[in-house]
Amino acid sequence: MFKHLLLPVDGSELSLRAVDRGIALAATLGARIHALHVLPPFAAATYFAAIAQADETIYVERALARAECILGEVRHRAQAAGVACESSHEIDGRPYCAIAAAVSKYHCDMIVMATHGRHGIEKLLLGSVTQKVLLLAEVPVLVCH
Amino acid sequence: MFKHILLPVDGSDLSLHAVRLGVELAKTCGARVYALHVVAPFHTIAYMAEMLAATEVVYTKDAIVRARQYIAEVQRIAAEAGIECAGSYVFDDHPHEAILATAREQHCDLVVMASHGWRGFTRLLLGSEVHKVLLKSEIPVLVCR
Repeated sequence: MFKHLLLPVDGSELSLRAVDRGIALAATLGARIHALHVLPPFAAATYFAAIAQADETIYVERALARAECILGEVRHRAQAAGVACESSHEIDGRPYCAIAAAVSKYHCDMIVMATHGRHGIEKLLLGSVTQKVLLLAEVPVLVCH
Repeated sequence: MFKHILLPVDGSDLSLHAVRLGVELAKTCGARVYALHVVAPFHTIAYMAEMLAATEVVYTKDAIVRARQYIAEVQRIAAEAGIECAGSYVFDDHPHEAILATAREQHCDLVVMASHGWRGFTRLLLGSEVHKVLLKSEIPVLVCR
């Protein structure tokens, strides 16, 4: 059955609920999980390059700290459930590409994610990231509510 | 984990692939499955009603025969895996509503379905019924390739 579940998290309440679901499923299936956080790259307008450069360092630093905090939370929850968990972050402006790439990179055979993350309009639209993952992914996707 | 898995089928190869995955998952989780086939009702135009009335009987009869075959096929796959499987067919213009209504009635805690059925464009678009199920569902949906 499923042996390695990919859990993309953006840190939102919904994504953490999907994480809990994924961990419970992994525990039932005897599977491992891989938590992935994708951070958008710092978008600098070229004519502000000098100012932006200073900001970028701070941005990346904070974004990485935040990623580590979110991934740490997932590892903590997995450990509590006795599920083996690895984690990584990717810097990518297109999270769905990073998620699809992680599936092949880490040989995952299922993705567990929420219907939408931070940017979703609750219940009205399917999150754009989720939607694109569903189109791109080569493996089944468990969409949680 | 999951205790009762809803498996909507439209008879396409993709939907049967999702059924096999769903049955395997059910086996691992120790869950039951429920097969559902949604039949599009016959539509008549008001004039020619008499002529069409005969056709409708034939259409409905054929549709029911097909529906029973699809459900029997799911039950055969489930029986091979040693999984308990009930099933039904329902006439509805909106398959997603029938799917969600059945999920509620049967107290299902997961829907397993293909990313598109007969009418979907492979890889290009997410099937419209899947999309609507994802939006309105209160339980997780496993979308299979």
